[in-house]
Amino acid sequence: MAEQLRTEEMILNMGPHHPSTHGVCRLILTLDGEVIKNCVPVVGYLHRAIEKMVENRTYAQCIPLMDRFEYVTSMSCDWAFCLAAEKLTEITVPERAEYLRVIMAELNRIASHLVFMGVTAMDLGALTPFLYGFREREMIMDLFEMTCGQRLTYNYIRIGGVSKDIPPEFIGQCRHFLDIFPGKIKDYEKLLLKNPIWIARNRGIGIITEQMAYDYAISGPNARASGVNFDLRKDDPYSIYNRFEFDIPVLNGCDCYDRYIVRLEEMRQAARIIRQALDQLPGGEIRAKVPLKFKPEIGELYSRIENSRGEMGVYLVSDGSTKPFRLRARGGSYNHLQAIPDIVRGLKIADMVAIFASLDIIMPEIDR
Amino acid sequence: MELAPVFTWLYGLLLSLGLGTSVADLISLVALAVIVFGFLAVVALFLVWWERKVSAHIQQRFGPMMTGWHGVFQTIIDALKLLQKEDITPALADRKVFFWAPVICFVCAFAAYVVMPFGKGLIVSDLNIGILYIVAITTFTIISLLMAGWGSNNKYALLGGMRSAAQAVSYEVPLVLSLLGVVMVTGSMSMNDIVAGQAGWGGFHWNALFQPLGFLIYIIAATAEANRTPFDLPEAEQELVAGFNIEYSGMKFAMFFLAEFVNMFTVSAIAATVFLGGWNGPLLPSWVWFLGKTLAMVFVLMWFRWTYPRLRVDQLMEFAWKVLVPLAFLNILYVGVMAKWLKW
Amino acid sequence: MELNGVMTKQELIDHIKAHFPGPLEMIETKQPEPYFIVRPEDLVAFARFIHDDPQLQMNFLMSLAGVDTGQRCEVVYNVCSYPLKHRLLFKILLPRDNAEFDSVLSVWPAANWYEREVWELYGMNVRNHPNLTRFLLTDDWDEGNPMRKGWTGTDFITLPDRG
Repeated sequence: MAEQLRTEEMILNMGPHHPSTHGVCRLILTLDGEVIKNCVPVVGYLHRAIEKMVENRTYAQCIPLMDRFEYVTSMSCDWAFCLAAEKLTEITVPERAEYLRVIMAELNRIASHLVFMGVTAMDLGALTPFLYGFREREMIMDLFEMTCGQRLTYNYIRIGGVSKDIPPEFIGQCRHFLDIFPGKIKDYEKLLLKNPIWIARNRGIGIITEQMAYDYAISGPNARASGVNFDLRKDDPYSIYNRFEFDIPVLNGCDCYDRYIVRLEEMRQAARIIRQALDQLPGGEIRAKVPLKFKPEIGELYSRIENSRGEMGVYLVSDGSTKPFRLRARGGSYNHLQAIPDIVRGLKIADMVAIFASLDIIMPEIDR
Repeated sequence: MELAPVFTWLYGLLLSLGLGTSVADLISLVALAVIVFGFLAVVALFLVWWERKVSAHIQQRFGPMMTGWHGVFQTIIDALKLLQKEDITPALADRKVFFWAPVICFVCAFAAYVVMPFGKGLIVSDLNIGILYIVAITTFTIISLLMAGWGSNNKYALLGGMRSAAQAVSYEVPLVLSLLGVVMVTGSMSMNDIVAGQAGWGGFHWNALFQPLGFLIYIIAATAEANRTPFDLPEAEQELVAGFNIEYSGMKFAMFFLAEFVNMFTVSAIAATVFLGGWNGPLLPSWVWFLGKTLAMVFVLMWFRWTYPRLRVDQLMEFAWKVLVPLAFLNILYVGVMAKWLKW
Repeated sequence: MELNGVMTKQELIDHIKAHFPGPLEMIETKQPEPYFIVRPEDLVAFARFIHDDPQLQMNFLMSLAGVDTGQRCEVVYNVCSYPLKHRLLFKILLPRDNAEFDSVLSVWPAANWYEREVWELYGMNVRNHPNLTRFLLTDDWDEGNPMRKGWTGTDFITLPDRG
């Protein structure tokens, strides 16, 4: 008598401690063999209650908390918060400070994309681009350390400007970095992009259609690889981005392969912006006159900037006191992780790893 | 300086003790086993150190530098550390299966060296089914991987075991077919005969030059058999967190680990013997040529690991069955035609 | 600074007031986007209107936040339009006790986790939400709704006002 073969669905826990998930994220997968039937993300392992803490701190004390909101690009997080606070009081930031902010944010964008590039390749088994990317990132970290003393969470962009001026060696070292960097990007492209294994693992995997991008509010390079031609630096310009010439890479592949290429191209454009900013850098003050007890007007607003992960928005409610009344910080990864169950249904575990890596999800943005 | 005369002299010494040939044979077999085992253990230790240095220099860093000159003693220290680790067996694991899996893996890795020609006259036993014996013995490691996956009572290990079994079985076929081409030309499965067949042209009458397609197929299939990237799914760290050996610790883990490196040495040694001329070569002693060619092949395998990303399971199967097997058949056709036409 | 939108702020306000049937309250602000207060019962209808109207096409939900002002609770929606590049801020006002509002998942699927977070941290019930379970806090959390004003925890310290 032939027994029925039991082919049950297996529940696999890609738990919080896992070499592949970026940060502490738990994914409960329901598998049928190797095919994913359902995926439930469980978050909250990195919840530090930043939004509750800022209600208890003055605006200047909030900036280190915003650093840790998304520590891979903490310059941009500081900037989003300071932009919101400055718009409420209509402070004019001095020219030199604006240029310094742009330079630091774009350097931070390059650093973040280098991390992305290394980690994505590492998740798929190519262990070497990780170290090549970090070699360049060390040069950027040296630049940051020389300016503000910190390598990861900077506390540099303050309300009204920046906290310290750049030392004289900065410009020379930055230009040296910009000179060697395009050659390195070519190296990274040559190493992986034409490799048939890389193409087989990434082409056609993790499709995010344009409609899905709007529905799930997916922004940043993930949306631009799906044909959505929107970049906050050009379409909702903040600060002085309208003075620079740069392109926005938009591709139509909607898959992991294109998301990788979009970010490599963005690194090139960021280097272009930094070069123009260094050429145009004026002298002058680095911080506007801001009262010691900074009290913005009563009001509320939502201000957003283009982070390397997508749109980073800050909804700030002020009641006229020295402490923010309500701060809702929104990062791009929050929406991207929401979309993952719909993207991976029907694919295999190995694809799940590739998709998670290519969406460039960082957990602190989600948990705050 | 050839090593074969040394062994002959030692055997003569044994006979002169007056023990009789059968006892002398027994003692010499045991001694050979110990010598080969010792040599391979040293080779495995060396290879672990070498892999770490090669990977480090490819990635622009230094690797082990503190223990001894450039970290040569690193592997010994690591082995000592593993020896003193607690040997944990999961409570619900299948004990017998869990225990015997690393043993089988380790034994099969070493058993293949009975027919390996280390140099002129340096072969433990020149079986006339040499190549067939090697292929049969290395297939046993598949069983040990399955046993490890099942006996660990762990979903990740099970997935790893299943993947590895599928992969190993799929890549056996092109491996054997590519070796078949050489056997057709040599007319014998004995390893000594295969090496002797490549003795022409001053030791450079390599089979790889005449059957390049066969050589290529062999390298790819051998990388898959040795579970190296781009075929290292059974141990894909980023996805399965060490796959089938996730529950092993201490000495059992060390056995799997060393067996992997000995396997790598085995497939490289077979490549060197069957395709690259074995111990033939001018000027230098034969065992130097053998070691050199084998280590060059090992370096190529390491180079693959630190450059390429990893294939997905179904892409791997597709590649084996839809690409390699037809090419292997094509290779046999080509060898057959050449053998008839050019009288190879 | 003005947005690169197709319609200016005043045109947006006029268009919405002219075409939406329910009562709307408009607040004057210095920010470049219009600011509306919508009745809680009109929420889904308003959301659908600004999403589907061909001259508005607000298809991108930027942020959904809960606010507790001490006297009442609010839920604030920030939306923008990708093709037409204009923005809108609207909110609904709710009483502090037993606050309830409808889910806008049918209009913007991105609202899923935002609404779940509002439920968890503020204690406001969301009708028609498929999955109101613990999200950021631990599974056995029983110490109230942390984002409410006046909530204190065992290790909650008020820092001195140093400026």
